[in-house]
Amino acid sequence: MLGYTARRVLWILPVMLGIATITFILMHFVPGGPWDLDKKLLPQTVENLNRRYGLDDPLWEQYGNFLVDAVRGDLGVSYTYQERQVTEIIRQGLPPTATLAAVAFLISVAVGLPLGMVAAVKRNSPVDYLSVLFATVFASVPGFVLGILMVVVLSVEWHILPTGGWGSPSHVVMPAVALAALPAAFIARVTRASVLEVLGQDYVRTARAKGLPSSLVHYRHVLRNSLIPILTLLGPLLAFLVTGSFIIETVFSVPGIGRLFVQGIFQRDYGLIMGLVLFYSFAIAVINLVVDLLYAVVDPRVRYR
Amino acid sequence: MRSLRAIAGLLAVALVISACSEGATAVPDTTATPVPTLSPMPTAAPVSTPTTAPTVDTRATPFPTVATAVPTVVPTVVPTAAPPEPTAPALADKQEFRANLGGEPTSLDPQRAGSALDFSTIRQAFRGLLGFSPDLGLEAVSAAEVPTVENGGITEDGLTYTFRLRDDVTWSDGEPVTAGDFEYSIKRLLNPEVAAPFAALYLAIGGALEYNSAGDQDAAARQALRDLVRVEATGGLTLRVTLERPSPTFLQKMALVPVYPVRRDVVEEFGDSWTEAETYVGNGPYVMTEWVHQDHITFEINPEYWGPTPTLTKITYRMITDVNAEQAAYRNDELDLASVPPGTERAVLDDPSLGQEVVRSPELFSLGIFLNLNEPPFDNLKVRQAFATAIDRAAWIDSVKNGVGQPATSWLPPGLPGYDLRLGGEYTFDPQRAGQLLAEAGFPDGDGLPSISLTHVTAGDQPVMAQFIQAQLKENLGVDVGLDPIDPAIYGQRVVGARQFQMTPFGWIADYPDPENFFVLLFVSGAPINVSSYSSSEFDRLAGLAATELDQGRRVELWKQAHEILVQDVPVVFFFYGERLFLKKPRVDGLAVTSVDGVIPGDTRLTEVFLTP
Repeated sequence: MLGYTARRVLWILPVMLGIATITFILMHFVPGGPWDLDKKLLPQTVENLNRRYGLDDPLWEQYGNFLVDAVRGDLGVSYTYQERQVTEIIRQGLPPTATLAAVAFLISVAVGLPLGMVAAVKRNSPVDYLSVLFATVFASVPGFVLGILMVVVLSVEWHILPTGGWGSPSHVVMPAVALAALPAAFIARVTRASVLEVLGQDYVRTARAKGLPSSLVHYRHVLRNSLIPILTLLGPLLAFLVTGSFIIETVFSVPGIGRLFVQGIFQRDYGLIMGLVLFYSFAIAVINLVVDLLYAVVDPRVRYR
Repeated sequence: MRSLRAIAGLLAVALVISACSEGATAVPDTTATPVPTLSPMPTAAPVSTPTTAPTVDTRATPFPTVATAVPTVVPTVVPTAAPPEPTAPALADKQEFRANLGGEPTSLDPQRAGSALDFSTIRQAFRGLLGFSPDLGLEAVSAAEVPTVENGGITEDGLTYTFRLRDDVTWSDGEPVTAGDFEYSIKRLLNPEVAAPFAALYLAIGGALEYNSAGDQDAAARQALRDLVRVEATGGLTLRVTLERPSPTFLQKMALVPVYPVRRDVVEEFGDSWTEAETYVGNGPYVMTEWVHQDHITFEINPEYWGPTPTLTKITYRMITDVNAEQAAYRNDELDLASVPPGTERAVLDDPSLGQEVVRSPELFSLGIFLNLNEPPFDNLKVRQAFATAIDRAAWIDSVKNGVGQPATSWLPPGLPGYDLRLGGEYTFDPQRAGQLLAEAGFPDGDGLPSISLTHVTAGDQPVMAQFIQAQLKENLGVDVGLDPIDPAIYGQRVVGARQFQMTPFGWIADYPDPENFFVLLFVSGAPINVSSYSSSEFDRLAGLAATELDQGRRVELWKQAHEILVQDVPVVFFFYGERLFLKKPRVDGLAVTSVDGVIPGDTRLTEVFLTP
C-alpha cells in the first residue's frame, strides 16, 4: 500500500511535466497573443510589453524559464492582470471555488445518496418515480439555466438572495445548488441502480433468510457493497465540481478560478493559462489518487502492492 | 415518459426567462477587454477651445443625442454637489454608491493602465494636473491654472508648457504633491521597462521617443536617455515640459490618466503590488479601502483630500462580468447603475418602470466596415462607393439596435469639432444608385466580382452585424458575401497587423475628444492602425498641417478638409456612431455623464453625485 502510494505520487511529476509541455506548445500554436485583443497598441508598445514579459525570447527559452520558475513555485505573472502573480491569483481565487465545490459536493451526496437508496428499496413506488423524475430533470437541465431561473425567482422577484458576488453564506446558496443539481441527479441514479443490483445478490437473500432485520441488511450488506460504483463516480464528480464551475462562477459573479480560467483563455493570458492548467491537473491527479486509495478501504477485495 | 414532459416544461420556462434576460449566459464574457470596439479607452480630455455635446444627466429622462455641427458649445446644466435650488435637496442617510466595473481591472497603476475599467477606478483615487469640465473643456485640477499663451504657461512657439501647481495638493497620506512627482510619473510612463500602453500618446515630448524605444539598451544608456526627456520640475511647484514639435492637443493629453502622478517611494518600495489597497497612495477624493480581486473594490472619502469634500461617503465597484447578471443585480437593487444588455434595449425602454430609469448619452464612437484597399475589388473606388450606398444604416439602428446609435455616412462622430452631418450624403442608402455604381465599376449585378468575405470577431454584436451587412449586400446589390468569423484574440494579429481581410467592422472610441484622434493613427499613409491601407497624399498633407497647427479654427478647418477627402475616397463604409444607454436608479442625482467617461458613466465627476432618499 505504502509503496503503491509512493509510486503514484511520484508518477504525478512526469504527468505534470507532460501536461505543462503540451499546454505550452498548444498555447503558442493557437494564433493570437495577449496583446492582440487590444487593437490599438502601437508596434513599439507591443515590443516593450513583449520584452518586459520575456515574450520576445525564443520559445524553448521561455519554456525553460517557465519550468525552472514553476519548480520554485513561481508561476509567473498574468498578462491580463499585469501587477499580479499567477500564484497569488490562484491563492485568492481558490477559496471561493473550493468552497463552492465542497458545498455542492455535500449537497449532491446528501441529496443523491438517500434519494437513490430510497428509490431502490421502495422500487416502483411513488417515491421511486419521484426520484427518477428528479434525476432525469436535473441531469438534463444545465446548471446555468437552473442558476438563471433561481436568480430570476429568488433575487429579482422575491429579493431573498443576492444575485451574485461573494463574501457571505447567502452568496453560496444559489451557485452551490446550481452546481450540485447535476451531480445529485447522477448520484441518485447510480445509487439506485447499484443498490438494486446488490439487493438481488445471493448474500443479501442469505442475510434476509437468516432473519436479519431489514435495516441491518440494508445498512451492513447493501449500502457498503453498493458504494463502490458510487465512489468511482464521486472522484470525477469532485473534479468536475472544482473545474466545471466556470459557467456558474460567471453567472453568479463568483471570484473563483473557474471564471479566471475561461477569461485567461479568451485573452491569451499565457501566464494564467499555464498556472491554472498545472494547478487543475495537479488537483485532479490528487483526487484520482485519493479515490483509488479509498477503493481499498471500501472494498476488501481491492489490494494495492 | 412523464419525466420527459416535465423537462420540456421546465426548459420552456427557462427559455422564456433566459429570453427575457436575453442570450442566457452560456458564453462567458470577455468583458475585460471588450472586442468589437477598438480602443478600450474612452479617456479623453478636453480642449481648451470648446468642443461639444456632453450630456449632463440629472433626472432619469432619456437624453437625445446631440448632433451638433462644428465647434459650438452646447449649453449644459452642470449639476454640482450643492444643487442649484435654494433649498438643499434631501439627502439619503446612506451615501453609498454602487456600480459595476464589469470585471477585474487590468492595472490600477495610472501609467500602466490600459482599459476603460482601469480609468474608471483610477479616477476616484487620483487627480491629474488638468481635468475635464462637463462640456469637455479643460480645467485646472492639481494645476493652479490651465496654461495658455496669455498667462505665460505656453511659449509663443507652442513648444514649452509651464504648469504651476496648486500649493495645497496632498497625497492621501498627507505628504504634499510636488512638481517632482509629476516629472517622475511622466518619465515613468515613457520608461520602456514599464511598457505603458499609452506612452505612444506622449511621444511629442522632447526625448520621449528615444527613451521609449530604448528597451534593448543597457541600464546606463536608458538612464542617460531618461535624463534627456524634457520634463523637469523647475521648482517645488513648477513643471516644465518641452515638446519636440508643436502639438495642439498636448494639453488634452495632459488631462488623461496616464500622466496622473504616482508616488515614487511607494512604487519603488512595493514594486508592482503597490496598487493593492493597503499601499495605494493617491491624491484624489477617495482612497481605495478594499480590493477583493475579481469581486469588488471599495472607495471611501480621503480625509486628506484638498478639494471640496464629496457627498458620497462610499463607492463600491462590483466586478460582474456577465451583462445579464449585472442586469439582475440592478433589478435586485444591488447596483445603482447598470448597462443595458445588447438586444434588450427595446424591452428595457418599453418597460413601464425600467424605461423611466434609462439614461442616453452620446459617445465619441464611430464604427465602419473597413475595406482592404490593397486587393481587388476594393482597390476600385466605384466598388467602394457602390457598397457604401447599398447599406440601409437606418434599418440597422432601428431594427437591430433598437434605435440606439445614429447612422453615419462619415467617420467623425457628433460631439467633435469638425463633425458635419451632411458629409457623405452621397452614400445615403439608394440601392438603385448602388447597382449603377457597381455596373460602372464593371461588375453589373455583381458579375465578375471576386469572392468577398467579411471578417468579424465572434463577440459582442459583430456576428449580427456581419449577417446584417451580408443580407443588405445580397438584397440591394446582388452580391454574395461570405462570413469569416474569427476569435477576438487573433483579430489584432490578422486584421490590424497582417491585413488579411477584405472587409471588416472596425470601431474607434476617442482617447481624447479631438478629430486628430480619429484620423492620425487610422488613415495617414503607413500609420500603424491604418487597417484599410488607405493612402492619399492630399489627406497626408492636410493631416500633417493640422498636427502642428496651433490656431484652433484653422486646425479644425484642416481636419474638416481632410475628412472630406477621406469621405470621397471611402476606404471605409461608414456605418454608425455610438450612443451610451444605461440604467440609473432614480435616487442617484447629480451624475454628469460626458462622452469621455470610462466604463462607469459619470466616473470623472462622481464627487458631485449624491443620493436622495
